[in-house]
Amino acid sequence: MNRSDIGVDLDKEQIAYIVDDDEAVRDSMSMLLETIDLPHQCFSSANEFFEYYDGSQKGCLILDISMPGMSGLELQEKLKESNSLLPIIFITGHGDIPMAVEAMRRGALDFMRKPFQEDDLIKRIQQAFDSEANTRSARDIKQLMLDKLALLTSREKQVFDLVTEGQANKSIAYDLDISERTVEVHRSQAMKKLEARTLAQLVRIKIYSE
Amino acid sequence: MKYEPSPHDSNIRPSLDESELEGTDVKNSTLIKSTLETNISKNTSIKNNAAPLLGSLLKNLPGMAYRCLNCKDWPMEFVSEGCFALCGYTRSDIEEQSVLWGKCFTVPEDIQRVENAIVSAVNKGEPFEVEYRITTRNNEEKWVWERGRAVDFRDGNHVLEGFITDITDRKLAENALMHEEAFAKAVVDTVVEAVITIDDSGKIDTINSVTQEMFGYTLTEVKDKNIRILMANPSNEEYDLYMSRHLHGEEANTASEREDNCRRKDGSIFPVHLSVREVISETSQPSQNPQEVRKFVGLIRDLTARRSAEQEAREQREQLAHVDRLNILGEMAISIAHEINQPLTAISMYAQSGIRFIDSESSKIDRVHDALNKISIQARRAGAVIEHIQQLTKQQNSRHEEIDCNHLIREVHKLAEVEANLRNMEIVLDLVPDSISALKPINCDPIQIQQVILNLLRNGMESMQSNDFDNGNEITLRTLHDDKGVKISIIDTGVGISKDFAERLFMPFSSTKDSGMGMGLSISSSIVKAHHDKLDFMHNDTTGVTFFFTLPYTEST
Repeated sequence: MNRSDIGVDLDKEQIAYIVDDDEAVRDSMSMLLETIDLPHQCFSSANEFFEYYDGSQKGCLILDISMPGMSGLELQEKLKESNSLLPIIFITGHGDIPMAVEAMRRGALDFMRKPFQEDDLIKRIQQAFDSEANTRSARDIKQLMLDKLALLTSREKQVFDLVTEGQANKSIAYDLDISERTVEVHRSQAMKKLEARTLAQLVRIKIYSE
Repeated sequence: MKYEPSPHDSNIRPSLDESELEGTDVKNSTLIKSTLETNISKNTSIKNNAAPLLGSLLKNLPGMAYRCLNCKDWPMEFVSEGCFALCGYTRSDIEEQSVLWGKCFTVPEDIQRVENAIVSAVNKGEPFEVEYRITTRNNEEKWVWERGRAVDFRDGNHVLEGFITDITDRKLAENALMHEEAFAKAVVDTVVEAVITIDDSGKIDTINSVTQEMFGYTLTEVKDKNIRILMANPSNEEYDLYMSRHLHGEEANTASEREDNCRRKDGSIFPVHLSVREVISETSQPSQNPQEVRKFVGLIRDLTARRSAEQEAREQREQLAHVDRLNILGEMAISIAHEINQPLTAISMYAQSGIRFIDSESSKIDRVHDALNKISIQARRAGAVIEHIQQLTKQQNSRHEEIDCNHLIREVHKLAEVEANLRNMEIVLDLVPDSISALKPINCDPIQIQQVILNLLRNGMESMQSNDFDNGNEITLRTLHDDKGVKISIIDTGVGISKDFAERLFMPFSSTKDSGMGMGLSISSSIVKAHHDKLDFMHNDTTGVTFFFTLPYTEST
């Protein structure tokens, strides 16, 4: 199913947020992403990023695991607390493996050891973008469907539920103890409010809202 | 004697002159006789004018006067007003026998004891005196004191008259005192200190069992002996001085503490903590001067165990500090790896970017210049890190000293042995005789050289472990004297070193180990170089390799 089909327009503005205390690592990674025109933004500390972060950021986070001040793991925890959906790719130096394992356990998307294969990094950023878009669209679509369903009156909602269960108008009328004509009115009102033209679209709305 | 429910119980009450009792409390002489121990004989009538006095007396008694039958539960025929304060019931409650003394008040555990006391006294025709507990109407437990005697014999039972009073407060105080005494005794019995009391002339009065164990003397051996027999020599004179200061009031504080040495019966000396307190008490023996008696209580704690624990802790700390110094090498390697990793990561990414700019066929070709420039900067950064390390190792060279090589090797062996044990391996020492080694000391920085030896032992052990000890689990540490100095060899039976790898063996960051930094041999090599020799290796005839270097003798020899 196409996203536009159900009225969702995804923001294509995904950015790779690079957080590393080493200026050279930041700058070289920035140059590498420039070669493939991948939008990115650099931060020299976890704190700097966390101050910038407001929940609207889309894309992914490339995060050095051990930094002075707030560590990568701490930033990961803080973002988790603010219900962030940003996937995190950790970059680790030597001897950070136990920390990387811990980061993965806490839900990091991936980790890479310095120095790394540049192609690998690019591939993983793209995977992170896809994963983030999927999670976000699933969440957005659900929210959108719930918003639309909230517009229905309770009678329209009853009719919608029974219709999407596959019941015919006649049996709905019997169940709700109203006339078939009234069922038709509720049904067409509901479809109008939900911007659905076919029964199939109604069923999709039902599925996405669950 | 067994108390059976008396069939005559119901007959008791009519025998009492109720109107008399109601009106003036009581006019019965026997009650007074029993209670107040007067000698008025039984059945003597109280003069009428005495009755109001007695009534008021009975009313104000701090307790309860009574008459009852000595049978089960002691049914009361008469009680005085004091009963309400004592047990919470009125006279009529008790006299009508809706509550029975034995059944309702006396604590069940105490009943048998009370019965026995009464029976044995009554049989001898004597008054009885007994203390027991009762439960009052409010469910409160009270201790009471009862005194009474048999005054009559009626229908097969003795008639008792007597007096019961509340002694709860006294009992509680007694109990508290008993607990306190028991506690104090328990403390003295369980202390780990020797407790000794002496008189003002220094003679030992008492000692506790700990003292006997600590010193090996029994009480009879030391009783009335001067306390000095327990002290080690140096403090003997001091002790007399100390006593006289005490006795002449120069030491205002009567408690004093110090650490000292004591002497056991077998003559051995041991360290103690000594605390002395003066106890002043009045003498209770009339034969003595009724003056105050000066006594001293001394507590002596054996410090032997603590001293040796302290010594052990000190040795361990020193050992640890030493290990720390030796581990600097390992720590340095980790921080070096981090420092080098950053520029390497950047170089790699800049290089990739450059390639992509060139391949992109777009107008970004001018960015290649930028990328190359930055690669060059990062390469220099990495170089600076290595240079910095080399300077660090050189700086440490200042602490050269003259040392017996065998001594140095044994020390490092002690440290490496722990690690060898963990790996199930053994380090074999093959050293020149101590007498020769002592004659020809070497000149080196012992800590740095120990770092080198430890590092070489570790490498060797890891190599042997990686071939599963195919050729045994012994690694050898050998010293040999030659004309230049002492040659130190570390001989393993491990996998050996491939020809390829041998070429870059002493270069930084070359390692065959999964977790290796490739810094150990590089740093070791520069340390040996600073000692004017070269760290080298050779393949053994059979298996494994031998690393060796020579340390120069001190110049004077």
